[in-house]
Amino acid sequence: MTARVPHRVLIAALGGEGGGVLTDWITRAAVIAGHWATRTSIPGVAQRTGATTYYVEILPREPGDPEPVLGLNAAPGRVDVLVSTELLEAARRAEAGFVTRERTLAIIAHRRAYTLAEKVAAGDGRLPEEALAEAVRAAAREARIADYEALARRAGASLNAVLLGALAASRALPIPEEAFREAIRAGKAAESNLRGFEAGLTGEAPAPRAERPEAPAAKDDLSWLPEAARPLAAAGIARLTDYQGPALAERYLALLREFAGVSEALAVSMARHLALRMSSEDVIRVAQLKLAAARAPRLVQEARARPGDIVHVVEFMKPGPAEILSLLPPFLARPLLRLVERRGWQHAAVALNVSPTRPFGFLRLRLLAGLRWWRPYTLKHAEEEAWLARWLDLVRRTAATDPAAAVEVAETARLVKGYAATDQRGRANWARIAAEVIEPALAGDPPPGGLADALVQCRIAAQKNPEGGALEAVLSALAARRTGRAAA
Amino acid sequence: MEVSFRDEIANLRLGKGEVFRGEGILAVTKALLQSGVSYVGGYQGAPVSHLMDVLVQAGDLLEELGVHLQTCTGEAAAAAMLGASVAYPMRGAVTWKAIVGTNVAADALSNLASPGVIGGALIVVGEDYGEGASVAQERSHAFALKSGLVLLDPRPDLPTIVRMVEEGFAISEASGMPAMLELRIRACHVFGSFVAKDNVKPALSYKNPGQPARFDYGRLAHPPVTFTQEADKVARRIPAAIRHLLDHRLNEVLGPAEGDVGIIVQGGLFNALNAELAEAGLSDVFGRLRIPVLVLNVTHPLAPEQIAGFASGKRGVLVVEEGAPDYLEQAIGQILRRADLNVALHGKDVLPMAGEYTPPVLAAGLAQFLERYGRRWIAARGLPEPAAQARRAAQAALGAALPARPPGFCTGCPERPVFSAMKLVQQQSGPLHVSADIGCHAFATFAPFNQGHTILGYGMSLASAAAVAGTVPRRPVAVMGDGGFWHNGLSTGVASAVFNRDDAVLLVLDNGYSSATGVQDIPSSRPRPENDGGRGKGVAIEGALKGVGATWVRTVESYRVKEMMRALRDALADPVKGLKVIVARGECMLARQRRLRPAQAKAIAAGERVVQSRFGVDPDVCTGDHACIRLNGCPSLTLKPSGDVLKDTPVAHVNNDCVGCGLCGEVAHAAQLCPSFYRLDVIRNPTAWDRFRARVGDALLRLFGGRPLSLPAPAAEPAARPVPAE
Repeated sequence: MTARVPHRVLIAALGGEGGGVLTDWITRAAVIAGHWATRTSIPGVAQRTGATTYYVEILPREPGDPEPVLGLNAAPGRVDVLVSTELLEAARRAEAGFVTRERTLAIIAHRRAYTLAEKVAAGDGRLPEEALAEAVRAAAREARIADYEALARRAGASLNAVLLGALAASRALPIPEEAFREAIRAGKAAESNLRGFEAGLTGEAPAPRAERPEAPAAKDDLSWLPEAARPLAAAGIARLTDYQGPALAERYLALLREFAGVSEALAVSMARHLALRMSSEDVIRVAQLKLAAARAPRLVQEARARPGDIVHVVEFMKPGPAEILSLLPPFLARPLLRLVERRGWQHAAVALNVSPTRPFGFLRLRLLAGLRWWRPYTLKHAEEEAWLARWLDLVRRTAATDPAAAVEVAETARLVKGYAATDQRGRANWARIAAEVIEPALAGDPPPGGLADALVQCRIAAQKNPEGGALEAVLSALAARRTGRAAA
Repeated sequence: MEVSFRDEIANLRLGKGEVFRGEGILAVTKALLQSGVSYVGGYQGAPVSHLMDVLVQAGDLLEELGVHLQTCTGEAAAAAMLGASVAYPMRGAVTWKAIVGTNVAADALSNLASPGVIGGALIVVGEDYGEGASVAQERSHAFALKSGLVLLDPRPDLPTIVRMVEEGFAISEASGMPAMLELRIRACHVFGSFVAKDNVKPALSYKNPGQPARFDYGRLAHPPVTFTQEADKVARRIPAAIRHLLDHRLNEVLGPAEGDVGIIVQGGLFNALNAELAEAGLSDVFGRLRIPVLVLNVTHPLAPEQIAGFASGKRGVLVVEEGAPDYLEQAIGQILRRADLNVALHGKDVLPMAGEYTPPVLAAGLAQFLERYGRRWIAARGLPEPAAQARRAAQAALGAALPARPPGFCTGCPERPVFSAMKLVQQQSGPLHVSADIGCHAFATFAPFNQGHTILGYGMSLASAAAVAGTVPRRPVAVMGDGGFWHNGLSTGVASAVFNRDDAVLLVLDNGYSSATGVQDIPSSRPRPENDGGRGKGVAIEGALKGVGATWVRTVESYRVKEMMRALRDALADPVKGLKVIVARGECMLARQRRLRPAQAKAIAAGERVVQSRFGVDPDVCTGDHACIRLNGCPSLTLKPSGDVLKDTPVAHVNNDCVGCGLCGEVAHAAQLCPSFYRLDVIRNPTAWDRFRARVGDALLRLFGGRPLSLPAPAAEPAARPVPAE
């Protein structure tokens, strides 16, 4: 006779996602089905959005059984079912050895709640979803990773009920469907939870959506560009036409032509960053975007407005003196900005809580957006042009000697973005990299390990920890290695 | 407390023969009532909060039985409450989280244990140890040893837990020692069942009062009788306790009677031990052991005759005892030596001295022990190979370590803006020394705030800054929650700082509850007559501050980031030496939403006018720098693809969990961040006046070339229309 072994279920979730309720349903359903069952959890403070787990053991009851000794700790290699409300938490359990080829069925909602480490990066700090899913798939006996949240939305129910349905559908546990339903009925919000359960039980959870945005169709002939750069260029043309008019788009294409033949990577990078930098964010642009027609349907949807509800939008705009004065022509703006600095008024910004859904708020934005024609005469424009010229010069000169590094020089444009303080910080970081890494390299003193590699390091440091000293550390390390080399 | 415990209270009313189903800590609560307690007290803290939370709402039941319930303002108060059982034959129980709560209670515990009790006294501690723990990792065992408490560590199944509660009172009365029942986190939350008994009305209670006890100097913890009491502990009480635990078989000898090796295990670890032995074919899921095991449901005092009896005739004995130091192993070693038994003693030589005894850790230790005595260990010695393989496969797929996900402030938490303001002030005027404290606000030590130099205990932040003031360029800032303020901070921190003219800034976060422990009421909670369990008295924190002599006191709405920054700068720059206190006021969002959400849904369904707000980010305006997230960290402020092929970095995004607290807008303004944020105000069921104004406004808007967002009202007046789900 083989030893009887309980069914073991591990549930991974974030605090506040209903993992506790899901665990309770499973346990109660097991009891309703006549089995021995226990569950436990370590909620603690993790109920505040931290990672947490719940654990269930179920032993089918046989006549004459004494009281079993069920476990309170999930053990690596001994989990039959892993249910997770989130992809990273599922991967975390897989990485810890709780998901195995021999045993584990993984039922995972293909859904991300980003960790702060991923969210705070100034660039894209997100972990690749495919790798997270693959970590579970590579470890599991069977992985059912699907967009259960979409099912939940469709059913107007919560995710945990849908996952319970998916668990019931898997038949991994010796619990009949009706026992699950009875467990749900004994709890709160039984009606919507039953809806969710049925959706998970019978519904086909859609495969996760790819997040690739559509590029606008290009009117111009872009066949002179490498194929990968064409959608970007098409988007760039559309963006710049909207920003300032067709003339700017033509200038964009003319500049882009220069780099089309160097390498595909450079063409892609330049198509992207030229378009973004030539349409830099100023107050006029913001007003344009806030009035864009495409915005309205999204707002209505976010407001969950029903017919008859009144919806207003309040914009949180707070241009500082620098942003306002930079709308003036340089000869006026520069002395005024010096005055502001002398007087220490840099932070004396005007809070504009403008409401474009009210007539006067709308008029104000309309007025600002209408300044589009004036843009070429502003200090902001002059400064952007100067930056652009410097950046283009660096890319050109690098492309002539080291085409691979030229892509990385082009990519430094990523550091320049945003508004006010963010914009200033980005430009300052960029200027240091240009002066301390790129210029010396072009003057015949490349950083140790090569220019491309050094620029990647700088960019990652500046994006990972923008306000901290990460970039400073990389720059000093590069400088130190350079002196070391010179000394040797 | 905005949660209802209706079902749990029904469980407490179960009578003889009925089956109780529920969690461990609730089973303890029921067992207290079955044991005839006269009084219950305690201080909240995971994992034992539930005991008090449920009783607070069980007013009717306690009234019927005549049980006095005290929601103490600290563990010291709870421990002191057991003084009733020193003078009267009343059973009483108190509860708190260990180790921290036991530390706070230590003064009273010593003075309780010295004279001992005549009515059974039980302390239920949540042994917050191992995964999921939120406090310093120390053992309660030390307190039992030094003060002379009976320490119960039951097997983590409900019948045993309930029995140990009942026996705890009995052994306490038999020996005069107070008893401490330690329950680990998982045992507190374990689900199971037991056959209930009737609740017992205490003989002596506020419903059935007696006369004051006669004066007996011998019952005071005061010299010279303390010397007699110390002798009484060792000469009478401990032997009496040992006699009781043997007579009533509180410890269990399981498995075969004979064997050349044996295991002695803390009761609380038995299920984990059994799982590993079952894996190796040395037991099964019903605990039918093939190796002798002595389960210590009582880990102090130990009965030497029992230990020696178990060990005698064996070649080796393994002590499975979690955590450091190895108190049990040392005591058992001494017993074996005294009994002159030639038995090899194992424990921390094969198992780790510190850390949680997880399944692979136990398996590794057991394998090493048993193989030394020639037993075959057929299970994995640590991490099983399939699990190791799976780990490698997962790691290969991931390529890098996964980021941790510590707990954080809830969506819309009123404490988050305070730390946004602190971060901004530090960005502008240089770093500060920050004394952190215990409570939700300790989450500010995590990203994105990364603030706090020390945590010295609950309500201790200000006191822990006393020697820092003057040694750093700016005044140190001590952060304290309202929970910590009432628990300890007012006297230990504020009164002491005022008395000593400490030059520091105290930031009190007044969110209306003790939130981290499960949103319990504290003295400053607002009174809520509509909630029977509500205990708040609305005592003003500012009043208490001024009462102990603080003069520089400013109250700021916690969501007003700009004002908070100004108050902080003022407090830091004030030329007069002395304590500056800022009270940041904003109700706990968890509690607020629990109350507001159902009320709002009901009002909307009933056709009442309700304005709902939420925030959003314009993906076209956002450049993907995420500076807003670095100053905020709200769970509902997250990322999404930009929707633009040119912008390949994700943009900030406010998801549907947003409660419209306003911080996004405040931070965007205070930090002059960016104009991406907007607020949506939705007027549900607008009044005729609203509609009239909207019609006029929309008409003007159209005239100017704009387009209103509101959808036209349906032709027929709707009845109840729920807001569509996401």
